[in-house]
Amino acid sequence: MLTYVVRRLFYAVLTFFGISIIVFVLIHIVPGDPVLFYVPMGGSGTISPAALQAIKHAHHLDEPLLAQYRWWLQGLLTLDLGTSITARRPVAELIGEKLPNSFQLNGIALLLAAAIGVPIGLWSAMRSGRLSERAAAVTFFLLYSLPSFWVALLLMQLFSVRYDILPLFGMRSEQYLQLSTGARIVDRLTHLVLPVVTLAYAQLAIFARFSKAAVTDVIRQDFITTARAKGVAPGSVLWRHAFRNALIPLITLLGLTIPYLISGSVIVEQIFQWDGIGRLYLESILKRDYPTVLGLTVVTAVVTLLASLAADLMYAVADPRIRLGGGRAT
Amino acid sequence: MIRKAAAVLLLVVCLACRERQLPPVSATAPDESKPQAGGTVVRRLDADVSTLNPVLITTKYDHYIARYLFEPLLQYDSTLEVAPGLAEKWEIAPDGKAYTFHLDPKAHFSDGTPVRAADVLFTLKKIIDPASEAVQIAGQFDRLDLARTRIVDDRTIVIAFTEALAPQLSWFFSVRVIPEHVYAAGDFKTAFDRQIVGTGPYKLVRRVPGQEILLERRDDYWGTKPYLQRILFKLITDDATAWNAVKRGDVDETQVPSEIWARESGRPELKKYLEFRRFYTLNYNFVPWNLRDPLLSDKRVRRALAMCIDLESVVKNLYRGTARAMSGPFTPDQWAYNPDVPVIKYDPQEAKRILNSLGWLDTDGDGWLDKNKKPFRFEMIIVAGNIASGPFSQLFQAELKNIGVDMKISQLDGNTFMERILGSNFQAAVLNWELDPDPDPYALFHSSQMPPRGYNFIGYSNPAADKLIEAGHREVDRSKRVAIYRQLHALLADEQPYTWTIQVSVKWALNKRLHNVKESKGWGLFLWTPAELDWWIPADARTHDRQPPTK
Repeated sequence: MLTYVVRRLFYAVLTFFGISIIVFVLIHIVPGDPVLFYVPMGGSGTISPAALQAIKHAHHLDEPLLAQYRWWLQGLLTLDLGTSITARRPVAELIGEKLPNSFQLNGIALLLAAAIGVPIGLWSAMRSGRLSERAAAVTFFLLYSLPSFWVALLLMQLFSVRYDILPLFGMRSEQYLQLSTGARIVDRLTHLVLPVVTLAYAQLAIFARFSKAAVTDVIRQDFITTARAKGVAPGSVLWRHAFRNALIPLITLLGLTIPYLISGSVIVEQIFQWDGIGRLYLESILKRDYPTVLGLTVVTAVVTLLASLAADLMYAVADPRIRLGGGRAT
Repeated sequence: MIRKAAAVLLLVVCLACRERQLPPVSATAPDESKPQAGGTVVRRLDADVSTLNPVLITTKYDHYIARYLFEPLLQYDSTLEVAPGLAEKWEIAPDGKAYTFHLDPKAHFSDGTPVRAADVLFTLKKIIDPASEAVQIAGQFDRLDLARTRIVDDRTIVIAFTEALAPQLSWFFSVRVIPEHVYAAGDFKTAFDRQIVGTGPYKLVRRVPGQEILLERRDDYWGTKPYLQRILFKLITDDATAWNAVKRGDVDETQVPSEIWARESGRPELKKYLEFRRFYTLNYNFVPWNLRDPLLSDKRVRRALAMCIDLESVVKNLYRGTARAMSGPFTPDQWAYNPDVPVIKYDPQEAKRILNSLGWLDTDGDGWLDKNKKPFRFEMIIVAGNIASGPFSQLFQAELKNIGVDMKISQLDGNTFMERILGSNFQAAVLNWELDPDPDPYALFHSSQMPPRGYNFIGYSNPAADKLIEAGHREVDRSKRVAIYRQLHALLADEQPYTWTIQVSVKWALNKRLHNVKESKGWGLFLWTPAELDWWIPADARTHDRQPPTK
C-alpha cells in the first residue's frame, strides 16, 4: 500500500510539472500581451513606453521564455505564486480570497446533487423500464439539456424580479455587517439558493443517470439473483448487495467531480456576481495575466491529482478485493 | 457524518462572514423641497477597480472611485472647460512653457495636514518616474522641465515644460495630489492598498475585492461638503443582472445597453420610478484603414469603400435612432467640430464606378472585382462578442459584396485585437475612441506618433495634415485653434485615413430617488465638477439606509 502511494505521488509530481510546462507554453503562444491592459484606448492620450517597459521588466516579461519559466518555478518551489500583472497583488492572495467562495457554492451544489441524484438513480434501477422511471429519465434529460445561463435568468426573473423572495445577485445584503452571526448565515444561505439550484439541476441528472447505470450493471449479475432467490428483502438486496458493488464507478465519478469544486463555474458566477475562481480564471486569461493563470492552474492541478489519488485509495476501501501496489494477487 | 458535514459547511460559511462592524445609520428629519444631507447611493461598478492609487489610474472604474477620494490641481466644469481644483488660481507664462499654481489655502488631506507645494512636486515626480508604472499619464508630463520647476512658497508652485503645448493645461486634471509624508517611503505601487490619504470629500470605509467598495463622507472635508453620506459601489459585471438590479431598486444607476434600452425604456410602469437618460459623450466609432497596405493606400479607394456604408440604415435599424453619423475626427459637441463637412453619402453605384475607373474590374466573371489577376479582398478584424461591431461589419460586408469587394470578417478576443491594432498588423477594423476634453488629435494622426509612442497605427503621414496638427498642438489661442481644427477636420474627412461612422449615445437608467443628477457636455453624469458630488436623496426615499429587522 505504502509503495503504491509513494509511486503514485511520484507520478503525480511528474504529471504536475508536465501540466505546468504545457500551460506555460500554451498561454505564451496565444497571441496577446498582458501589458496591453495598461494601454489607454483613449484617442488623445499618450503611451509611456518607459513605464510599459518598467512593468515588463518587473514581471520578467522582457526575458526569454525559458528564463521566465525558471523564475516562475523558482517562486513555486518557495511556495510563491508570483504577483498578478493586472491586479498588482500576490496571486496566492487573489486565489485565497475567491477559493472559499467557490468551494462554498460548488460544494453545496455538489452535495445536493449527489444527495438527491444517487437515491433517484437507485430507485430508477429498481424500476427500470416502467413508465414512471421512463418519465423520470426524460425529465432529467430535459433538465440536463437546459442551458444554465437561461435557467439562471429565468430563476432570477421569477424569484427576484417578479416575486421578491430571494436576492437577485451578490453574496450578501447591504445590511450584512449589522446582522448577528445567525442572521448572517441565513443571509448567506438565501444568496446561495439561486446559484446553487442553477448549478445543481444539471449535476443531479448526471448523478442519477450514473448511479442508475452502475446499479443496473450489478443487478443483472448472478449473485443478485441468488440473493433474491434466497429470499433476501428487496431493500436489502439493493442496499447491501447491489449498491455496495456499484460504489466503484461512483467513486470514480466523485474523483472526477472534486476538482470542479474549485475550478468554478464561470457562467453562474458571472450572472449571480458570485466572487469565485471561475471568473478570476476567465478574466486573467482574457487579460493574459500569466502569473494568475499559472497560479490557478497549479491549484487546480494539485487538487485534481490529489482527488484522483484519493479515489484510487478509496477503491481499496470500498472493495477489499482490489489490492494496490505490487501485491501478490492470487 | 451528516453532523460533521454540516459543521464543516457552517465553518465555511462563517469564514466568509468575518468583517468589520459598521455603526447603524440614523434617520434625519425630512424636508423634501431642498437638498438634504445624508443617505446612501448604490452605484453599479461594471468591472472591479484595478487600483486605488490615483497616479496609476488605468480604467474608467478607477476614475469613478478616485473622483471621491482625491482631487486634481484643475477640474473640468459642466462645459468641460478647465476650472479650479486644488489650485484656486493659476497663471501661464507668456511663452506658454510655465504654469504658476496657487493652492487653495483651505485644502487639507484627510489626515489633517495642509496640501503643500512640495506635495504637488512629489506627485509630479511620481508620475514621471517609470518605476511608478503610470502608463496612462506619464506621457502627458514627459516634457516636464524639472530643473526649472520650483516651489515658490508653501502654497505656490511653478511647473515648467520644455515646450509649450495647447492641451497641457487640461492635463493637470491628471495630477491628483497625494501627500509626500505618507507615500514617500515603501512600495508606491501597492501603498494605496494599505492606507488612503487624499484631499477628496469622501474616505474609504472598506473595499471587498470582487464585490463592493464603500465610501463615507468626510466630516472634516475642507471644501463644499457633498450631500450624500455614503457611496456604495456594487460590482455587477453582467448587463442583464445590472438591469434587473436597477429595476428592483438594488442599485440606483446603471448604464443600459442599446438592446435593453430599445425594449424597456418606453415601459410606463418603469418610468414611474426610473429616469431614462440618453446623451452623447466624447466618443465615436470608426473603421481604421491600414494605409501601408497597397490595397488601401489610395484615398479614392477608401472613399469608395466608405460610400458602401449605409449609415442611415445603421442608425435606424441597429440603434433605433439613438446614434448619429460622424463626418470626421471631431464630434458635434466639440468646439473643434466643422459643421460644413458633410458625411460621405451612401452610394454603392458611385463606389463601383470609382473602383472600375481605378482598374478594378470583374475580368474573370466570378463576381469579384480584380486587377492584375488579384481579387479585391481584405480582412476586417473585430472584437468577438462586441454588439456594436458584429452587426455593423456584417452589413458592411453585404454591401461590399454587392459591388464585388470581398471583405472577410475575423473575430478576435480583445487582447489579441489590441495587439494586432497597435502592431499595425491589420487591414481594416472596427474601433471606438473615448476622447479627452481637449480635442488635440496629435497622438492619432501626426506622423511622429506611430506606435509605440502614440496611436497612429494606421501609418498616416501627410505633410499638410502634420502642419495643421502641430499648429493646433501648440496654439494656445482658442479662436485660432478653432480655425486650424476646422481645416484639419475637412482635410481628414477628404483623406479618410479612418472612415468615421457613428456616434452612439450613452444610455442610463437612474432611480428617481436620486435628485440633481446633471450631465455635462461630453462627459455625461460623472467626473466633471460638481457632477456626482451634487446628488442628493430625500430622507423618505433612503431605502438603502433602512435598519435591518432586529431579532
